Amino acid sequence: MIHSQNVTIRRLTALLLAALLAGCGKSSNPTPSLTIAVNAGVEGTALKTAAQEWGRQNATRIEVVELPYNNLFEKLLMDLTSRTGSYDVVMMDDPWFPKLVEGGNLTPLPEDPAGDFIRSCLDVCRHPYQAGKYYALPYVGNSQLFFYRKDLFDKYHLAPPDTWDQVLTAAKTIQAKEKMYGYVARAAPGNAVVTDFMPILWAFGGNILNADGDPAVNTVNGVAALRLMIELGKYSPPGYAGFNADEVSAHLLQATAPMSINWPAWIAAMDDPARSKVVGKIDFAQVPSAMKKGQAELGTWLLGVPSGSRNADRAFQFITWATAPEQMKTAALRGNPPTRRSVFESADLKQKFRAFPAQLASLETARPRPRTPLWNEIENAFGIYLSKANAGSMTPQEAMKRAQDEIEAILRRSQ
Amino acid sequence: MKGRLPWIAPAMVLLLALSIFPLIYSLKLGLKPAHFERMFHDRLFHIALWQTLLFTALALIAEFVLGLSLALLIDGLGRAARLFRAGLLMPMLLPPVVAAVAWRLIFNPQFGVLNGTLKGFGLDTSHLTWTNGEGAALLCVVLVDIWEWTPFLFLLLSAGLQSLPQEPLEAARVDGASWWQTTRDITLPLLKPVVLLALLLRSMDLMRIFDQIFILTQGGPGFATETVSLYIYRTAFRFGNFGYAAAMSFVMLAITTVMARSLMRVMKTK
Repeated sequence: MIHSQNVTIRRLTALLLAALLAGCGKSSNPTPSLTIAVNAGVEGTALKTAAQEWGRQNATRIEVVELPYNNLFEKLLMDLTSRTGSYDVVMMDDPWFPKLVEGGNLTPLPEDPAGDFIRSCLDVCRHPYQAGKYYALPYVGNSQLFFYRKDLFDKYHLAPPDTWDQVLTAAKTIQAKEKMYGYVARAAPGNAVVTDFMPILWAFGGNILNADGDPAVNTVNGVAALRLMIELGKYSPPGYAGFNADEVSAHLLQATAPMSINWPAWIAAMDDPARSKVVGKIDFAQVPSAMKKGQAELGTWLLGVPSGSRNADRAFQFITWATAPEQMKTAALRGNPPTRRSVFESADLKQKFRAFPAQLASLETARPRPRTPLWNEIENAFGIYLSKANAGSMTPQEAMKRAQDEIEAILRRSQ
Repeated sequence: MKGRLPWIAPAMVLLLALSIFPLIYSLKLGLKPAHFERMFHDRLFHIALWQTLLFTALALIAEFVLGLSLALLIDGLGRAARLFRAGLLMPMLLPPVVAAVAWRLIFNPQFGVLNGTLKGFGLDTSHLTWTNGEGAALLCVVLVDIWEWTPFLFLLLSAGLQSLPQEPLEAARVDGASWWQTTRDITLPLLKPVVLLALLLRSMDLMRIFDQIFILTQGGPGFATETVSLYIYRTAFRFGNFGYAAAMSFVMLAITTVMARSLMRVMKTK
């Protein structure tokens, strides 16, 4: 009895192991398939819908892996560096690109992209930046805009927010005369504060890395830029040193603050009566200037094909199709700002999206974050000290000095 | 042994694949002198470590005192105790992520319920920034942890109280001992093993606090609520430096082990 029981158990175990091993192997599948990793959000949703459509037309089974922003980067980093080939098409935020393209982890495009893509969006698809081969196609054209209450600027005869000085004057006036704060900045550490600060830093002629790639935040210009941000902070709601994008937009939507730097993803909400108390009152301008002409930060979503993919040809067919003018127009109607000039300029879209001219102008001069694989680490360190300065526990000089030290250490370690 | 092997083989394979191999791999990655040298000079790691210890100490003391007081109070209630017990467990039953999102909304300085309610009482809330202020952020995070995990200590201690033998207590009462005397001289000494278990479990959990802080503040404002586990997460998954992250994890493991051992020693000798 015991003997027969043992035999049964052994058989069962063998069966289990066999099943496990079979699961690991590749089953031969007659219908071709594509696995696509997208951002869980409006950008990803549009791509998901497009992919299903393409799959039907091309007899391809589409699998979509939808991941939240931070998670997406982590998964891509692991998949690309270990070449597991879990994904055939990946959606990337442009600051991730220098890290993800490292070590040949993305496949170069079989041919250079054609047509009227906006230059700034194409440049970030190349490795090295601007000059090298293309490893991705730009899918969503994002760059910052300056959101401001046109009605209040008119009411108090304020000059349009072309310079940061004019912004400060307007913030002072509106805070004094209306029951609201004069401005809303965001200074939670990490991406939030760095994104809000970059256009100010650039307008003051500052940089994170100089032309030789050395840290350059601790300069007269850098300190002046941070001082301006803190000055703006005096008119921002208390606690803004913990704010992220959603708090900034909540203040605009609730009419408790009249202006901020913001991303195009929030434009639709401003004009949505269900969410907004300021429908039609907000105008979208270029990021203000100071010593230099204002430049927005670029945040373009890219599509690429990992080197580990076993379906590269089909993957390239799909991303070429998804970024062609016709599809991009459909994606624009689903809420994704395009990366092609012709789509921005098409008459019917311009009528539907009143901010398109401003978005196009912003994209054409927008500037990407420093093209370095160490960006996440630099942004983290820089963000901590910017946030501390905004919270008031460090002077601008001290914050820039500490940030400089920290960024120097990061670069030194990577050598 | 021979007869048992087929039974435990699958478990052994799983253990090897999921625990032993990653452990050896992370040792190989992490145990390099360069990592420990960096850790020694890494100012951000030092601040994160100090904040983790502070957070653990504050939350553990508060949760233990509150949990024990509640357990003692409710122990004397008889039948009504059941109702209280169920009610007190509510926060612990929420997923920490959900609780953290709710608290994030509550703490919002301009639109949150907390400042809204205080304003209703006529208080000037314009400068009460809670998790958004560098000074109060860590305390607010401690507060959320107390809210969520006091019930856990309460539950353990309450179960411990119920399992105590009744005879010594009755004898003491017959001898005319007051409630305070029986609690101090009989209940608490008898409860010691349960107290030790509760403190051990909770302190180990507190040392690796991640989810609440990640959602409430992401370690900010500035660096005010950064803990070691957040820092390890960033280093590994955001910066791709798995070696340094593994080294920091081993240091945390060592600290937690030493802490647990000394806690056990203190409790035994007392």
